[in-house]
Amino acid sequence: MSPRARHVLLAEGLARQGHVAPAVEACYDALAHDASDPLVHALLSDLFLTGDFYDEAIRAASRAIELDAGCAPAYLSLGLAYDRRGGMWDQSVLVWHELAEVAPELVVAHVQLGEAFAAAAFEEEAIDAWRAALELDPHEARAMYNLAVAALKREGMATALPGFRKAGELDPSQDDFFFSLAGVYDDGTPAPDPANVAPGRDSRLAAAYALAFEEDFFAATGLIRLVLDEAADDAETLALAGYLYLKQEAVNEAMSVALRALAISTRTPTAVYVLGAAFAKRPGLNRNAVRVFGALAKAEPRLPMPHVLLAESLLGVQRYGQAKQSYQRALELDPTFVRARFGLAAVLLTEGEHALAHHEIRRAAYHDTRRQKLFWQVYDAYAEGRE
Amino acid sequence: MPTKKEAAREARERPAAVAPVAEQAPGQQEASEIHPLRNPLFLAGASLYALDDESAGPEAAYGRELDADLDLLAEARSGLVRYFVSWRLLEPQVGQYDEEALGRLGALVASARERKMQSIVCFFADDRHAELSEVTWAQRRDPRTDGYLVQREAALVQRVVGRLRNDPGVLAWQLGNEAFLSRFESSEDLANWTATMREAIRELDPERPIGLGADPETLSRSTGVDARATLAACEFTVTHATSAYRAYAAEGPLTSGPATYLDAFLLRNAHRGRPVLMDEVGPHALDHSPAEEAAYLRTVLWSGLMNRAGGLMARRLRDMRTERREPYFLDPFETLVGIADADGAPKTAWAEMRRFAKTAARIDLSRFALIAERTAVVVPAERFSPLPSLAGLYDPRACLQSFIIAKQTHAPVTVIHETDAYDDLMVLVVPSAFHLLDETWERLAAFVQTGGTVLLSYGGGDAHPALRDLFGVEFLGDAGPRSELSCRVAQEDVLGAIESFDVRFEVPNHALLAPGTATVVATDATGSPLMTVNQVGQGRGVYVAVPFERAIAQGDPWATPEPVSHAVREVYGAVARAAGCGAPVRCSSPDVELALFQGDAEDVLIALNHRPEKLSAHLSMDRRVASVTDVRGGAAVAVGGTAFDITLEPNGVSTLRLAY
Repeated sequence: MSPRARHVLLAEGLARQGHVAPAVEACYDALAHDASDPLVHALLSDLFLTGDFYDEAIRAASRAIELDAGCAPAYLSLGLAYDRRGGMWDQSVLVWHELAEVAPELVVAHVQLGEAFAAAAFEEEAIDAWRAALELDPHEARAMYNLAVAALKREGMATALPGFRKAGELDPSQDDFFFSLAGVYDDGTPAPDPANVAPGRDSRLAAAYALAFEEDFFAATGLIRLVLDEAADDAETLALAGYLYLKQEAVNEAMSVALRALAISTRTPTAVYVLGAAFAKRPGLNRNAVRVFGALAKAEPRLPMPHVLLAESLLGVQRYGQAKQSYQRALELDPTFVRARFGLAAVLLTEGEHALAHHEIRRAAYHDTRRQKLFWQVYDAYAEGRE
Repeated sequence: MPTKKEAAREARERPAAVAPVAEQAPGQQEASEIHPLRNPLFLAGASLYALDDESAGPEAAYGRELDADLDLLAEARSGLVRYFVSWRLLEPQVGQYDEEALGRLGALVASARERKMQSIVCFFADDRHAELSEVTWAQRRDPRTDGYLVQREAALVQRVVGRLRNDPGVLAWQLGNEAFLSRFESSEDLANWTATMREAIRELDPERPIGLGADPETLSRSTGVDARATLAACEFTVTHATSAYRAYAAEGPLTSGPATYLDAFLLRNAHRGRPVLMDEVGPHALDHSPAEEAAYLRTVLWSGLMNRAGGLMARRLRDMRTERREPYFLDPFETLVGIADADGAPKTAWAEMRRFAKTAARIDLSRFALIAERTAVVVPAERFSPLPSLAGLYDPRACLQSFIIAKQTHAPVTVIHETDAYDDLMVLVVPSAFHLLDETWERLAAFVQTGGTVLLSYGGGDAHPALRDLFGVEFLGDAGPRSELSCRVAQEDVLGAIESFDVRFEVPNHALLAPGTATVVATDATGSPLMTVNQVGQGRGVYVAVPFERAIAQGDPWATPEPVSHAVREVYGAVARAAGCGAPVRCSSPDVELALFQGDAEDVLIALNHRPEKLSAHLSMDRRVASVTDVRGGAAVAVGGTAFDITLEPNGVSTLRLAY
């Protein structure tokens, strides 16, 4: 195969920078030079998909597949276009099957295949597809959400709720939320070596947060111990200790440490979060979790996560109407919040609103696949394979 | 707990809206008044397809007894029914017509007439089941462009028209349907075919209206064929929200959000001063509950009446009896779902149609006229640009969103095309256009000079030189996409009650402006003008530096940040109010669409809830309302003021007669 032509590289460059309209024009220029290049058709398909122009995306991807039946990026675009457009589940199932064969390690193909099966009312096949996705990637949150929804349809909320919680834990946004409450953000700098951390409460606590962020819980615990040895009533440090207990499934310890932190200072949002999350892990304590997350949602009304946490607790006490309002509030704040979309879908299913629930699940898939930006991974692998 | 018993309390003062009026309010109808069965100026009906069973062959077209179906339609107070002419059956051999089949068609029209229904006879439809337009002797030639076949088609048309022209039950002739017409590949072919068929009809029937069975917008979207010129020669127009167009422009639930406005938008878009038939109305897929089907149909029926449709045709009477297939399967041919089930038992949608006909019959459209629309959303000419221009893909969505925003302000609004005349309009909204024609800029300048208002939002790319004179700002460049939007109000109450905000909201473009003669009403966080107003001659040019409409449409229309929605609504509403064409009736809920039909002594107000939840709305107007009566009848309710409250069920409608 020949290397990519200059026109193709230009179109690619523009597309990677998000300049959709010039990139589409560049694709047409490239096609004027060589209309049989599947790469350009696949690229064009993704560009149309970016603008939610599904029929155009389907046409371009189909043309790419006609030109090369192994064009994985075109299958990806085609499947996503079918799914986002809706109502083309039979074609969608075929495409995701095909992509799972062309790129077997691509987890999203299995997740989407499951959703296409579910939309066509093939629940068993859907569950198999999501399980296959989780075998490939145990951290695939959307597959877990879908399994929870399937459990909800079959056995009700009591069975489904642990699944939603489990999916929520797989979703990194909840940990990100804890760190955002603490004012810790990923700036790309690696966490320091614990041996090199300067003495002093602030530097040790900052390093402990950085290590916890990188999931080096053992080193973070060591630094926390040093801080608490010097000042046992440090609420913020206790909250971080509670978080680390939570991450290690030591729920009772997390609860007691968070309560201690709040006894010292009620204005410690990280401790409120830890306490609520600990309550939420105990099915009998959902009522307490509702109160705690309710307070957190009031304290941080502009962040979507507290509303979702509150909504999930409300599901646990079967207050679906209030849970729906909380999910809707979270989606007002962040329409791309996949966890809130699935939660809202669950509530809608309990209300018998199947069409609306299905719409929410489709929107969740829409935002999740846009966020993953898988096209370029598949595209680059395919282009390198050709060359 | 014991209750303190004293003298009976005086009745609590209740809102005026619930107190019955002792005397008959002016305009209240006499109990003995006989109401028509249906509204003669807004007929609704359904298509009777040739086949109701997927397993039946084409030869069975209209082979079964249809009296029960016609009775069912008549019982729903339908005023319209449509039949499809099967070329395959009528002309089995070249030049040999099946007189029996022709007679059957005539009998069907007569049967409908006996039940006081008028018929639309449709030639050359493609229903994908009965192979209506596929003659076995055509040898795979294209009936749209092959000269010989077109002549045979004209002969068939004359045969049928000659047979039926004296039957007063025939209301109109229809040429093709969307499925058939969408296989034309050029505007010229379509125009030639239509002209030939029209000539054939006109030779025998110079009077009856002839229409082309395609929506110009959806046809253009699916085929790239611009049918506007062809449609201009027809006596009535058809609109049809196809499933493909719905997926493109208003994807999502049928009973909330943009989908509930789509039919009205297409109707307004197709309206060119000719009657418009809303065609093939109804759900496309089997994945909706009967209640959702009914709620959707209710929304479309009332939207049609509130937006100047001439009539409405449900997709089909009976559900198609299908081969076994998966649930949640979208009907690829849009012909499965009817208002009665496959056995002919009425569904909730049928009851909804009946209820509509009964209520609409009480609104005498010869006495009450819809208030004139002085605000128009302008569809840019670039909408018809082919790829690689993306304007043709982005613009319809932005225009639909603009239409929705205008509706949410409750100002009477219509849709026009860039090249249309601007006569009788006071406000032109140009939403997020990339490019306007040079002559349009001149016409806009003249429009503003003579007292009109232009509200234009930046769409991206370079600005036209006329921008400076019309809007009084200097364009400095496009700052590109932003994921956060800030608004700082600099001049309060110039463009309504807009408020400062900072929200996460993706905008694809942002015009950097330097203020010239314009008043800067709001800026972004850096002080660059965001909204400006420029007085030019007797009119105003209002400029918005971001493509709000496109951003809302391309984002998540169900989750637009409220500060953004509020700001845009305020701007639209304030512009219309300042131009003297604001909402005649103000409403506290943006999700309620209002239509005011004005009469001599009283008016009729229709309120339609676009949300799938029950809501209460506070209505107010400038005139003092003496009483309100449900148009369906019942006691008048005293208001005695300029405001009252109404409650609307999910996707519900309230039809009120207002006496002043």
